[in-house]
Amino acid sequence: MQKLYINPLPVRIWHWTNAVGFILLIATGLQIRYLDLIQLVPFRTAVVAHNWVGFVLIANFFLWLGFYLFTDKIKVYHPELSPTKYFRASFRQMQYYGYGIFRGDPNPHHVSVYHKFNALQSMTYQIIMMLVVPVQFFTGVLLWDVTRFAAMVEMFGGVRVVDTVHVLFFIFFTGFIFIHPYLASLSHTPWAHFKAMITGYEEVEDEAPKKGAASN
Amino acid sequence: MKSSWILDKLIPPASSRSLILATMAALLLSVPGMATRAEDGDLSKETKACLKCHDKEGMGKKLENQETLSLHVSTKAFVESMHTKNDCEDCHSGIDAKTHGKEKAVIKSKREYSLSMQGSCRECHKKNFAKYEDSLHAALVKEGSKAGRKDAPLCADCHNPHTLRSVKIVGPIASTPCAKCHEDIFKAYSKDVHGLERIAKGKTAPICFDCHKTHDVKAASFGDGIKDSCLSCHKEAVNEHKDWLPNAALHFEAISCPVCHVPGAQRRVNLRLYDNVAKRQISEKSGVPLFEKRTDGADLQNVGLDERALLSLLREFNQDGGQGKTVLRGRLEVRSGVEAHQLTEKSKAIKDCNTCHRAGAEPFQSVMLTIASPDGRPLRHGVQKDVLNSLQATESVRGFYAIGSTRIKLLDYALILVLLAGIGGPLAHMTIKWMFRRVRAQHEAERIAELAQTNSQALPNDRRADDDASK
Repeated sequence: MQKLYINPLPVRIWHWTNAVGFILLIATGLQIRYLDLIQLVPFRTAVVAHNWVGFVLIANFFLWLGFYLFTDKIKVYHPELSPTKYFRASFRQMQYYGYGIFRGDPNPHHVSVYHKFNALQSMTYQIIMMLVVPVQFFTGVLLWDVTRFAAMVEMFGGVRVVDTVHVLFFIFFTGFIFIHPYLASLSHTPWAHFKAMITGYEEVEDEAPKKGAASN
Repeated sequence: MKSSWILDKLIPPASSRSLILATMAALLLSVPGMATRAEDGDLSKETKACLKCHDKEGMGKKLENQETLSLHVSTKAFVESMHTKNDCEDCHSGIDAKTHGKEKAVIKSKREYSLSMQGSCRECHKKNFAKYEDSLHAALVKEGSKAGRKDAPLCADCHNPHTLRSVKIVGPIASTPCAKCHEDIFKAYSKDVHGLERIAKGKTAPICFDCHKTHDVKAASFGDGIKDSCLSCHKEAVNEHKDWLPNAALHFEAISCPVCHVPGAQRRVNLRLYDNVAKRQISEKSGVPLFEKRTDGADLQNVGLDERALLSLLREFNQDGGQGKTVLRGRLEVRSGVEAHQLTEKSKAIKDCNTCHRAGAEPFQSVMLTIASPDGRPLRHGVQKDVLNSLQATESVRGFYAIGSTRIKLLDYALILVLLAGIGGPLAHMTIKWMFRRVRAQHEAERIAELAQTNSQALPNDRRADDDASK
């Protein structure tokens, strides 16, 4: 096993702030929307907390964006431009999660400093970070003060449309908050990826000698 | 001048006039109530002459419809009235002194007579009369003349011209003419926070006309007039609400003040047809009753408009004035005028968000679609309450949304599905992984064995290479 430094400090700060923030947003969001079912804190407290946490996460988003824009680490998000390669890698990754992992096959993706995401992660995170998260923050800001942004709310089809988009992405993140940690536990040990996001160092298996390589 | 002409007719001319007047004065001074009559000094001779006959209790005239029109004018009340400086003939200019009291003038009814006298008020009160003509009251009068309605207020119904006193003099709550027609509302007001303060502190507290205007009275449910009236006194209200109420400005826009400040009231959602270009509530055109025709057509069983009917209705209205012009603006309000006048002190006002922001909240159990009639009064048609929770109403009810209570049900099902998938997916994956544990162990053993075999094959080759090197 070798150790690779693949999660720099700003990424780790951003990640854990995001994790705590999103859990708080989901919890307060659930109470705001389902007050008849959940009453952990007073409604007003839930609304105020939801707003504040939202603004913290918006600032946090720009920390993430700034870090990747001004360092060469942005390469980890570079898309695979060859569709054939991309879909082949995605298919292999899906095959691994859906079948190979049960048999104990090795993960087809090999982590490196500039290639830390597998094909599925790479596409998902790009969509999340460049579309879902910004739209969620934007609709959140509009709903934070509907009167102040009345013209914009109207332009997007009214408060119901804006709220529906916000709730649809809230539902997506609620699912994400369950799936993401589970997938993170599918490393060579259940805690390896979690540790990597704390220490910054990912344990990577040494390359196994290829079949027949020795006889050459 | 007309006054002297009447005087000439009523009182014999020249030399005998002074004698008669002296005799009249002597008679007046000889009767009880001299102190009161002493105040008559400011009245003109002509008015005094009129009052000589008309200040008799019970004096009246039988009208065509068998009503009795009182002809009694109390001198005391008239002297104390706002019209004390006017002469009788300023208003009653049509009286012919030759025939007055001798020939019977034909008057159909009290109402007819009051209507005929309206013009006299306009002569002096031009500004207020113009406001009145633009008011709901005047609209009702016009409507009444067609429909035979007899209770719409004319000037004299609110302002008795012979006893009218300045609002600076009258008691703080007494003599409010509005109470004559709006008795139940006035009773409610007299017990609410404004009415009680009016009784206790006098004119510093608002009474009817402070909110509803005096002459240009509009339907209370029309526009934002009443809310603006509240804010004209409670200037800091928006800022004070901002201290504790998230999105306070939106609450002010979408909720009428009594919704929270009358805790016991029944509430409802009022979806108002609104002109989004002109930025005002839509009024039905006079003589073109489209609203009732269209709502009745869209709701044949009279069970309330559903989301489809509401959307198609909105499209019909948009055909009249261009796409997107007509929208629905929702507002929470109390259901009756009486409830709107039961305002409580602010410490008792509703501050609990639970009242509205939960599924099945009471204010959202009744929904109305409203348009203003030509005179400003609301025309309503019921809407099914489920419309507020329907995805199909996203377009029609686009401007009205209350977190929690009007949430779209379909999104709730989506959340349940995602939660099931989010929890069930990993659990299922873990289960399958557990079931495959032996297969994995077997593969791992095979892999180790294969690795060991590879290593053992590689080792002799390495040794041979070492031996060759040593040679």
